[in-house]
Amino acid sequence: QEFVAKIGHLESTAQSRHVHLEKVAELVKERTNGAVEFQIFPQGQLGNQRQMTEGTQLGTQEATVAPAAFLGGFNPVVSVLDIPYLIPEGDAALTLLDGPFGEQLLDSFSEKGLVALDLWPNGTKQFTSNQPLDDLAAFEGQKFRVMDSSILIEQFNALGASAIALPFGELYTSLQTGVVDGEENPLDTIFNMKFFEVQDYLVKSDHGAMVDVVLFNPMFWDSLPDEYKTVITDAFAEVIPELVAHKAEAVDAAMTAIEEAGTNTRVADDAERAALREAMFGPASAAYVEMAGDAGQAVLDTYETEYETLQ
Amino acid sequence: MKALEVLRTVERTVLVVLFLSMVALYTGSVVTREIGGTFASRFAWIEEAVRIMNLFLVFLALGLALERVKHVGITNLRDRLPEGVLTWVRRVMDLTGLVFSVYVAWLALGLVQFVLRSGQSSPTLGVPMGVIYMAPIAGFLLLGLRYGLSLFGVIDRFSAQKESEA
Amino acid sequence: MIVIVVILALVLLGLGFEMLLVLGVPALAWKELAHGTLPDAAVVQKIVGGIDHSTLLAIPFFIFAAHLMGSGQIARQLVGVVKALIGHTRGGIGHVVVGGSMAFGSVSGSAPATVAAMGRMVYPEMRAAGWSDRTSLGLLVASAETALLIPPSITLIVYGWITGTSISRLFAGGLAVGLVLGLAFAAYVSWQARKQGVTRGPRLGWGARGRAIWDAKWALGMPVIILGGIYSGTITPTEAAAVSVVYAILVETLVFRALDLRGLVKVTEDSAINTAIIFVLLAIGGLISFFVTLAQIPAGIIAMLEAANAGPVMFLIAVNVCFFIAGMFIDPNSTLLVLVPPLYPVAMSLGIDPVHFGMVVTLNVCIGMITPPFGLDIFVASSTLEKPVSDIIRGVWPFVLVNILVLLIITYVPGVSLLVPNLIFG
Ligand code: NA
Ligand code: NA
Repeated sequence: QEFVAKIGHLESTAQSRHVHLEKVAELVKERTNGAVEFQIFPQGQLGNQRQMTEGTQLGTQEATVAPAAFLGGFNPVVSVLDIPYLIPEGDAALTLLDGPFGEQLLDSFSEKGLVALDLWPNGTKQFTSNQPLDDLAAFEGQKFRVMDSSILIEQFNALGASAIALPFGELYTSLQTGVVDGEENPLDTIFNMKFFEVQDYLVKSDHGAMVDVVLFNPMFWDSLPDEYKTVITDAFAEVIPELVAHKAEAVDAAMTAIEEAGTNTRVADDAERAALREAMFGPASAAYVEMAGDAGQAVLDTYETEYETLQ
Repeated sequence: MKALEVLRTVERTVLVVLFLSMVALYTGSVVTREIGGTFASRFAWIEEAVRIMNLFLVFLALGLALERVKHVGITNLRDRLPEGVLTWVRRVMDLTGLVFSVYVAWLALGLVQFVLRSGQSSPTLGVPMGVIYMAPIAGFLLLGLRYGLSLFGVIDRFSAQKESEA
Repeated sequence: MIVIVVILALVLLGLGFEMLLVLGVPALAWKELAHGTLPDAAVVQKIVGGIDHSTLLAIPFFIFAAHLMGSGQIARQLVGVVKALIGHTRGGIGHVVVGGSMAFGSVSGSAPATVAAMGRMVYPEMRAAGWSDRTSLGLLVASAETALLIPPSITLIVYGWITGTSISRLFAGGLAVGLVLGLAFAAYVSWQARKQGVTRGPRLGWGARGRAIWDAKWALGMPVIILGGIYSGTITPTEAAAVSVVYAILVETLVFRALDLRGLVKVTEDSAINTAIIFVLLAIGGLISFFVTLAQIPAGIIAMLEAANAGPVMFLIAVNVCFFIAGMFIDPNSTLLVLVPPLYPVAMSLGIDPVHFGMVVTLNVCIGMITPPFGLDIFVASSTLEKPVSDIIRGVWPFVLVNILVLLIITYVPGVSLLVPNLIFG
């Protein structure tokens, strides 16, 4: 091979992101007659996401596929994706990510020493807890574990809940003993990390879209001939429908397994989702703009325009 | 050796203040969580802050640890060497340690510059992330200083070792 | 190339260089020889990456707490209570080490923290009771391994995450295997107690025992806060470590008046240096495990196993050997991340139960922590007890053998790992 790219990510090998990264690697190898090889390192073998993103800037590794939620420290603009109920459901999500809004997000990485190639939809977050989550009022006073993000903290504050920062590795035990009441994650993560074993209630609210950003090291990317760049870009775009289907299947399987395990699950209806959006969207957006400044406001404006046309 | 005395006092003070602050902050975060509500959310930064402080604690203690002969190593074979050979082995050790420490510190400097330029900041505190790599710069320089002082005979870290094992 | 680097490491090791140079210099050489195109600054990124984990924070805090308890009164009083209760049995204090490490290791989840805390408390007592230096050191280091098995255990959570195994089942299996390991050490202690002619204390009446407990009420607050805080869901294990430091400071300075400000500063300083000695090795371990990951060695081993058409027995032997070798050079958490993803699918294709495989893997990781040259717990014991590394290694090898014996039982009798999870979860 002429070009070898080490690509690191956090998910385990059975999960959608890894399965489709392997697929992309296969396509790229085939279409470049073996000139470009992708070596995929799953499960944080190359470090946690911060280290992998930094390593991609530095050239320690050639690429990473990172959840947008982990990228705010590198590029505050991308944290717009942390805002709850930002991305509409179904095909509209793909249209939004593919359009000017998505373009603007990808472009925003270029001045951060990264080439952002594509956005991969990777499921939506749900709430779980050991206290009932019957309605909006039920969140009040509960303690939820959050990722390091001022936007997500505001999201929980808007519901009157406490946002508690805990390391991911300690979350299972903390849910088990009751240090925190609940957490939010995509269904397949809740299933894979076995959080349902120590959670009594789950509400399928689909409140936060998880979007992966495909990031390459600029030096490596620029060293590629244009035809290979096209092959790679196309391969990442091409597998998206398959990725979405794979994810949907994993989510359904996870939901069934979680229900069978005895966790009390329910699906929030449209009215409840609208109420949740109403409560959380404003404060979370305000926190976003405070963090990302004018560039953030610009992205949010683009979003509003696009969102209108999708309705 | 006034300067070295001052340096030691600074190192010790920084370590003690850092460590006690880490304990206080972590305990404080338990208290805020017990109080609960959105009040607790305001202290989500503590976890990140303590993690960064721990990096500084670790690296800033490296030099003092060498001076006090605390670093671990397997010395039985060396102790059986004749005195003449031993003197040279010690010099090689000090020189290796000096070169290694200064080289790593220099690499860390490059990394700090790179990360500061990229504009990366920590997610909850908003601290420029380049800061965390200043810990190994300072730490390995302090370590290299001790190796250098030992090499040129300013401090004696080997007879201190004999005493501690006696 | 690899030969040159290994020889370099062995020469530095033999000449008694500081361990950070023994690991660090060859690692830099490997970077130059094998990864010339990798940016140099990556070295520092991986060094810092090796210790930039929230889950490691329990170690400095517990080291601090252990130093405080050891310098003041708490440790002595806690040991006094245990002596009053079982001091008359043969090898009493030796069993205390096993039981104490299991209890402390259970909650702290960290073997190095357990070595530090238990070591400061009971090492002087073991020596006073007539135990040999070797056995005292070896037992302290080895019995801390139960921390990774007895729940809660971050090691088992990491395994569960990598493989998608139920963590509750893993915890149930870990409890059984941890008890088996503890019992094996206890059996060895009983045998050695007879051999070494360890003294017995007098048997106390219940009145005297009650008085000993009452006298130690402030000291007993320590385990109550740690265990109670964690199991009641008030604090996480890492927070328990920090809270125990606050409690120890308050009790030692205000109640016992065993520490003044100067003493507190000294203990804080010593604990910081102690932490640094251990973490710098973990940091350099982060760099080494990065190179091991890039070399994709495990994939090569798998290919060999598949070519040899190995059955479950051969496979498990190969797993033991892989972990044993990896554990000699890289730190426990990295071993898991590097080896489990490629080995797990093979284990499944051979019909090995995921929980059983998890126990085999975790026990292997345990052994890795007490085998030289990179035995993290050996270094922790060396630096907290101020003992030469070679003394610890001499003391620990009988326990490595006991550990390997337990590993063989666990590996070839799946029932030991699976009985409890199957009873609880069907
Ligand atoms: Na444990
Ligand atoms: Na080892």
